[in-house]
Amino acid sequence: MRRWPAIKRYMLRHPGVARLGVVIVLFVIWEIAARWFIDPLFMSPPSSVLVSLPQMFEISGVPGALRITFWELAVAFAMSVAIGLAVGLAVGLQPFSRRSFMPIVLLLYGTPQVTILPLFILFFGIGPASKIAFGVSHGIFPIIVTIVAGVQNLKPILLTSAKSMGANRWQAFRYVIFPHMIPSFFTGMRLGMTGVLLGVLLAELYVSTAGIGYFTTLFTQNFEPDNLLGLIATLAAMAIILNELVRRAENHFARWRD
Amino acid sequence: MTGEVAIRVRDVSHHFGEEDDARHVRALLDTSIDVARGELLCLIGPSGCGKSTLLNVVGGLLEPTTGTVEVAGKPVRGPMPADIAYVFQENALFPWNTVFENVMLGMLFQGVPKAERDDRARRSLEAVGLAEFSDHYPAQLSGGMRQRAALARALSLETGILLMDEPFGALDEQTRMILGEDLSVLLSRTDKAIVFVTHSLGEAVFLADRVAVFSARPGTIKQVISVDEPHPRNPEFVTSAKFTALRNQLYSLLHDEIRKAMSESAMRGGAGHRGSVAGDSA
Repeated sequence: MRRWPAIKRYMLRHPGVARLGVVIVLFVIWEIAARWFIDPLFMSPPSSVLVSLPQMFEISGVPGALRITFWELAVAFAMSVAIGLAVGLAVGLQPFSRRSFMPIVLLLYGTPQVTILPLFILFFGIGPASKIAFGVSHGIFPIIVTIVAGVQNLKPILLTSAKSMGANRWQAFRYVIFPHMIPSFFTGMRLGMTGVLLGVLLAELYVSTAGIGYFTTLFTQNFEPDNLLGLIATLAAMAIILNELVRRAENHFARWRD
Repeated sequence: MTGEVAIRVRDVSHHFGEEDDARHVRALLDTSIDVARGELLCLIGPSGCGKSTLLNVVGGLLEPTTGTVEVAGKPVRGPMPADIAYVFQENALFPWNTVFENVMLGMLFQGVPKAERDDRARRSLEAVGLAEFSDHYPAQLSGGMRQRAALARALSLETGILLMDEPFGALDEQTRMILGEDLSVLLSRTDKAIVFVTHSLGEAVFLADRVAVFSARPGTIKQVISVDEPHPRNPEFVTSAKFTALRNQLYSLLHDEIRKAMSESAMRGGAGHRGSVAGDSA
């Protein structure tokens, strides 16, 4: 039995293998459960979801719905980052504004916005605008909070030292505050991405005439789990790709942290 | 030593907080001293005696409550990057920049023309023995190497004055000794005026041309002792009778002050909580 330690060492050095293993096991359980134990009207095995995936894209309106949702996500995310960064810096850079306004931000962050979703629809209509606005309302707060936290834990000695060497305000921001805050900025962007995804999809599910929300409702009501799960898988893939892009950029900027 | 005055401190007092505030602290009282070009002045004294406060007043990081400081003939009203460079106690390197970038950035802030920076950065890193580690990030260096890098950054600014706030305070004894020796060699080649805050008696005697001993709070200079020994000083100096005598003299001067400072802070319920600019070792 000398091979076990070798396998153990291999696993320890490659955490991805164990992760992949867990994912495979879950899919197998799903496959078995869906094939033999669950009413096919409610649940499809992953294999048949995969097989019917091309078919789902043929359904008139689905590719368009994916495009619209993706566009809503992208716009909502871009707006969240831009506004979140601006507000986060404005609130975080001065102790006065931090003490004055941070409680407001945290209060808003802690309030479940879904309770005022109908208001968003009322203000922005049932088109993409309300989805984007609701996505922003979810994405913006994690970004503000992480940026404020990131700006706050800057060691004062670094600013003092920059100042003693003659750095002006802009240089202090550009070369000290900004690089310091990059890691938390990226953390905020990833959390914000999750928030945007949640906000946009919630709004789509609530009322929708064109996006993915319309089709998830349709597929569920028509008992078409193949199509429903295929659509959700496509969404998940979108989210994973967006998240991975942010993570790659983050690793690139955080080289110095080892 | 040319004898030309580089730093002129006149009747400087500094208070933290308002007069009637419970946290009001008289950190520094009517202190005057001159530092000549080419001279290294060590400030030594009990914790909270105002050594770092004086340093920060000279560096323009703190405005004195009363009194004046002149540097290179000009009154100090804020940081003077063209004349004064700093080495801080804590690691003040930018962690997201390599050693080389850190040195370059200092010169960018100071306003050194682009064409000169590269060459000056290389030279100063060479002078502190860090040329091979130019592309390392601070996190990849030992504490001693980080302080060398901070010293290189300060040297690259080519200022007439260097202020060092317990630069080796966080290092272990051996590293400290080696850095002290290297600093002594570096000093012998420059005519900078250097003010060096330290807690270590040995370090003070080994490095300083003069040692200013501070009294307990409100801090002021109690006595100035000359160490008449040319730079660079070699390690044998540490074992000489002269070194021991000076060290003992400093010790007896300090001993009473440290007792006084400790009983005072015990009465006030712990060490003072003052806001100071660079670290809390005012």
